[in-house]
Amino acid sequence: MAGDLILDVRELEPPEPLEKVLEALCVLEEGQRIRMIHHRDPHPLYPILQREGFEHETRFTDDGVVEILIWHSRNR
Amino acid sequence: MLPIGLSFQQAPPISVPFRFFITAPLFLLAAAALLFAYGPDLMASRHSAAALAATHLVTLGFSSMVMCGALLQLLPVLGGVPLGHPGRMAWLVHASLVVGSASLAFAFLSGRPLFFHLALVLLTTAFGCFGLWLVGALRKIREGGASIQGMRAALVALVVTVSFGLVLAAARSNGLAIPYVALASLHPQWGLGGWTVLLIVDLAYQLIPMFQLTSPFPARMTSGLIPSLLLMLVAKTLGEFVSGPAGEAISLAASLGLIAGYLWFAIVTWRLLALRRRKVQDTTLQFWRLGLGLLALSVCIALLSALAGDALPEAWLQMLGVFALPGFILCVIQGMLYKIVPFLTWFHLQSAYPGMGIVPNVRDIHARFHADRQFALLAVALAMLAASCWFPVLSRAAGLLWMVHAAWMEINVLQAAHIFRKVRRVARMRAAH
Repeated sequence: MAGDLILDVRELEPPEPLEKVLEALCVLEEGQRIRMIHHRDPHPLYPILQREGFEHETRFTDDGVVEILIWHSRNR
Repeated sequence: MLPIGLSFQQAPPISVPFRFFITAPLFLLAAAALLFAYGPDLMASRHSAAALAATHLVTLGFSSMVMCGALLQLLPVLGGVPLGHPGRMAWLVHASLVVGSASLAFAFLSGRPLFFHLALVLLTTAFGCFGLWLVGALRKIREGGASIQGMRAALVALVVTVSFGLVLAAARSNGLAIPYVALASLHPQWGLGGWTVLLIVDLAYQLIPMFQLTSPFPARMTSGLIPSLLLMLVAKTLGEFVSGPAGEAISLAASLGLIAGYLWFAIVTWRLLALRRRKVQDTTLQFWRLGLGLLALSVCIALLSALAGDALPEAWLQMLGVFALPGFILCVIQGMLYKIVPFLTWFHLQSAYPGMGIVPNVRDIHARFHADRQFALLAVALAMLAASCWFPVLSRAAGLLWMVHAAWMEINVLQAAHIFRKVRRVARMRAAH
């Protein structure tokens, strides 16, 4: 199984984080996850993930970093 | 490969904002052409016919045009709700604003009442429809955050500006007896310091942290600045109509309050930009920095004017006008426009044609603008225009520089529209095969 795909988008301005994650979703392998590191909660991303069959878990760290784990729904 | 697309269904079609963005630089070009044609005659006074025509071409035809287009697009997305008939509304507001702004410029230049009447009807239609649409939109948007509160304040300022403008136009064309000097002073204060600045401040609260990757604006500022500025403008208006020392005291206190408010915004925004997380240089950041610097300079001259009264020479007041408009306002509008236009082009293409691998990324679209060179030209054009306040002989050269600048901006917006059409054509051809 391939390891997590790390996507650090903290220094990117909109819509580049969305561009990057959409590209990553297209190449995500079975069982693989995207670990997206963001500076804010990317609300527009979530309806897209749901519609396209992905699940996610968002974690907020004390230093203001938002970590979003994304995986295929069928890998539940 | 999965076709991944966006689905902000509340976003109106790209033709809604783009018709405004494509038209706006043409009005800037027309204003620059007036400066070139009239030269020292235009610079003779802020109230010369050519100066009034050029100023209104910029305020109505350029800045209000861009702001209406941006709001028709942004409000449904920011508010997260679809808002009724944006296409029809955009057509009506755009058409009446285009013909109304041009009519008003002709009216100032020719002095013919017919053009004033035409401008009165069309600008009332444009701003009346836009204002009603904005009221409806703000009602539908449930979350009453700082952004919505700021837009309400900007809308109040727009209503006051347009009302004063209509009375002034009626007085100019029909000889209606009004307190002309007071209204002629209040109209630009509500238009620039109210409608335009309040909206810029409100949009900056959203767009600066988002696009320039800064910390958020301090909560004290986002909750307090816009209502305070609005209150000061109301006090300033009262001060103009109260006679004697009491009126003068109210007016001076309100002016000082406004000056402090604008300066607070300039300093806080400058500091946020200096401490931004992303260290990569970006030309839109330069537009903002220059704009904020010019805002601080105009505020300093406004302070001199408030304290010195009529003793301040006309050239200083002209320079205040140049630093505020086209200085501050044009710089920040262009700074925002050059972020919004590539973003919208990408956003609409990505929504319509997901997963086809034909949508260029935002950086590629922005790179075609050559914004760094255009920024250098803008700085020179502004310096030349400021120098023209003291040496009117330079005004035709300033007009020429501004014409090149406006034409370049027009080409850039057209390029984005061209990219959109090209990608759409490719997508349709692929779908047909």
